[in-house]
Amino acid sequence: MLLIVNGESQELDARTIGDVIHHFGLEGRPVVVEADGEIIAKEQWPDTEVRPRMKIELVHFVGGG
Amino acid sequence: MKKDVWRIGDHVLTSRFFIGTGLFPSPYVQKEAIRESGAEVLTFAIRRINLASTEDDSILQHVEGENFRFLPNTSGASTAEEAVRIARLARASGLSDWIKVEISANERTLLPDPLETLKATEILVKEGFTVLPYTSDDPILCKRLEEAGAAAVMPGAAPIGTGLGILNPYNIGLIVEEAKVPIIVDAGLGSVSDVAQAMELGVSGVLMNTPVAKAKDPVGMARAMRLAIEAGRLSYLSGRISKKRYASASSGHEQFIVK
Repeated sequence: MLLIVNGESQELDARTIGDVIHHFGLEGRPVVVEADGEIIAKEQWPDTEVRPRMKIELVHFVGGG
Repeated sequence: MKKDVWRIGDHVLTSRFFIGTGLFPSPYVQKEAIRESGAEVLTFAIRRINLASTEDDSILQHVEGENFRFLPNTSGASTAEEAVRIARLARASGLSDWIKVEISANERTLLPDPLETLKATEILVKEGFTVLPYTSDDPILCKRLEEAGAAAVMPGAAPIGTGLGILNPYNIGLIVEEAKVPIIVDAGLGSVSDVAQAMELGVSGVLMNTPVAKAKDPVGMARAMRLAIEAGRLSYLSGRISKKRYASASSGHEQFIVK
């Protein structure tokens, strides 16, 4: 399915947000997910289905002042 | 002497040093510098994960969390709407409901956009965040942010990363005099003398990143800054002498031997 992940179009074999996390090997890492502008809580990742051209943001904390 | 503690909301703090986590030469140096700083509050930014790299570049893996309060910022936002979005993402991490509102509208100066900052503060306070806006050193604006429900107000000393020190000490002093919430000088400090000056003006704390992280010896500088904060604070509490135009002798003018 074509998804826009962190601003880039990606063809992913994914049905849910959980699949997207798995695809990028992000399990267990402190990631926050936003899908089409809505924050998806971690517990909901396996049940949240992705849609074609969905805009997914995978973010985390980096160093900053 | 009574222990000199202060509060952000209900949270009691002993240290008056908020330290940033960017720009350090290595995670090890950063960790040591944080330890030497004595800081209890660490700041972070929120960014997209680099999907091209498999390496975990999250800052959190280098920080042992339990002892710290996390203060994520909204850097990268240029409008209130963007700042609110970043704040919600930060809170969704489950690590903190504190947020440093940071909204820059100009890439060269990174100076805060005061109107958007006020707008974002109003929204985030309503959403239950503990809001610490980074803003310009304008006394009226700082008051407005306090009235909007900011838990602390953080006027800049000078533009971010410049190390120019306090460009308008008169304003910072006035902001402190008028405030009912803690005032934290954020951005633009460069050296211990700047920090001591800020504390002598009566601010509750300082937030620094670049002057520590980019010092030749960040660990040494973290300690120097901590000592400057302590010295400046104690000086403020102890009350400095007023400035006079002419000399006044330390031993008085009576009983001179040579007269």
